[in-house]
Amino acid sequence: MRRDLRLDGVGRRYGLRGPWVLRGVHLALAPGTLTRVEGANGTGKSTLLRLLAGIDAPTEGRVTGRPRTAYVPERFPSALPFTAHGYLTHLGAVHGLSRTAAARAADEWLERFGAAAHARTPMARLSKGSSQKVAVAQALLAEPELLVLDEAWTGLDTAARAELERAVAERTAGGGAVVFVDHDPRRLSGAPCTTYTVRDGALESRTREPSAPDDGPRVVVEAHGPQGAQPPADALGALVSAEETAPGCHRLTVPASHSDVVLRALLTARPPWHVAGVHPLGKDNHR
Amino acid sequence: MSALLRYQAALLLRSQRWLPPVILYAAFLGIGVQGGQPVLDSLGYAAAALLPVAAWLVRICVTVEPPAARACVAAASGPGRTHLTRLLVALLATTSLGTAATLLVTLISDPETTDHHTRVPLLPATAAGLLATLACALLGTAVGALTNWPLLHSPGRAVPTMLLAALLSAVATGSPAQAAVSGLVTGSRSGEVPLPLLPLAAAAGLAAMAGAVACVLSSRRSA
Repeated sequence: MRRDLRLDGVGRRYGLRGPWVLRGVHLALAPGTLTRVEGANGTGKSTLLRLLAGIDAPTEGRVTGRPRTAYVPERFPSALPFTAHGYLTHLGAVHGLSRTAAARAADEWLERFGAAAHARTPMARLSKGSSQKVAVAQALLAEPELLVLDEAWTGLDTAARAELERAVAERTAGGGAVVFVDHDPRRLSGAPCTTYTVRDGALESRTREPSAPDDGPRVVVEAHGPQGAQPPADALGALVSAEETAPGCHRLTVPASHSDVVLRALLTARPPWHVAGVHPLGKDNHR
Repeated sequence: MSALLRYQAALLLRSQRWLPPVILYAAFLGIGVQGGQPVLDSLGYAAAALLPVAAWLVRICVTVEPPAARACVAAASGPGRTHLTRLLVALLATTSLGTAATLLVTLISDPETTDHHTRVPLLPATAAGLLATLACALLGTAVGALTNWPLLHSPGRAVPTMLLAALLSAVATGSPAQAAVSGLVTGSRSGEVPLPLLPLAAAAGLAAMAGAVACVLSSRRSA
């Protein structure tokens, strides 16, 4: 994603004389950012997400800078005449991968979400959770520049939820934009993100105060780097806090979902950093 | 685009929902077309019967995905482009079926006029049959595109409207399909093989317009 996706004065209503679901929405999504959309049920969150994903066209206003987009719906009924692997291979190709790359990515993402055993199962026989895994995998296959998640975590098991949070961290670290709606306030908490609230058909920006200490699970990374140096730029965005405990010794606190991204940034930095230890930040040694 | 076409074609084939219209068409031909009948008459009959089949196949291609799956593909490649491939796959399926039927009908029919006095040249007759078939397929696709999602959402309204529109466009004067078919029937009486290029062009124009309307509305009436 090279430039922002911009919504200028966007409004949407259904039917010629229907009430406005959304109106006067101005929004820009920059590459590498995470955006959370909040709001009560039926306020137009899903409509906003469908506009952002390009599934719906705005009734008024303009959308510019459409990147390669992927969308995950909240419920994914699996009444499709394919196996999970077959569907994902088709969708990977639709997302722009070659047939072989799509088949490989399908295997990889089913494995990551713990659904490899269902790869050859017809979609119609998948459980609700497993078909949601297929819906999520479909969106992540081709590393989209914009990932739109409409309550994508609903129905996933604990391991798959954590995996999806890590996948979101990877996407933003890789320069993609991610927009999500989720009713769990702890979802991706601690990760730097812009929050918007949809209220009465209008979009309100909510500046988020620095995350509270209790905000979601954390991991502490002890790393040795060049003396006096800042952590690599790729890692900086994901950090909650960083302190130099001794010359060259850094203690980095990161949201658990972003630990892989930070470690990768440290180890691939030039010159590489040395990771001395990684441990979860427990409730007892919190403060 | 080719990945989208493959996906939509695989959806149609694997869903097996194409079976009822194809079987119905085969039954229709089995009743209406018999060996030894004048070739142009039978070709006209085969072409006219293809029109509702085309509309039905469009309906299948448009409704075979659940809305959530439709949204996933629309996000990846744009709702308009996705909808266009649905219509193209339906048109492709109809023309394959129609071509096979035309060739079969030409093989088993008598190359003569209705009164069995004049010979009808077989090659021009086949060409005329293929053109009329294509005109009916295009018009049927236009009917299907305008009477299903995204224009009409509920099956209770879409199906009767589609059937009525298909019937009318097959028999009403002024319809390109009716012009192409009646050209064949008149030719069967006079012995002169018509070349229904004008009806074909009109049907292609109507199909393009109907397709454009449906594709534009696919992101505007998608809920």
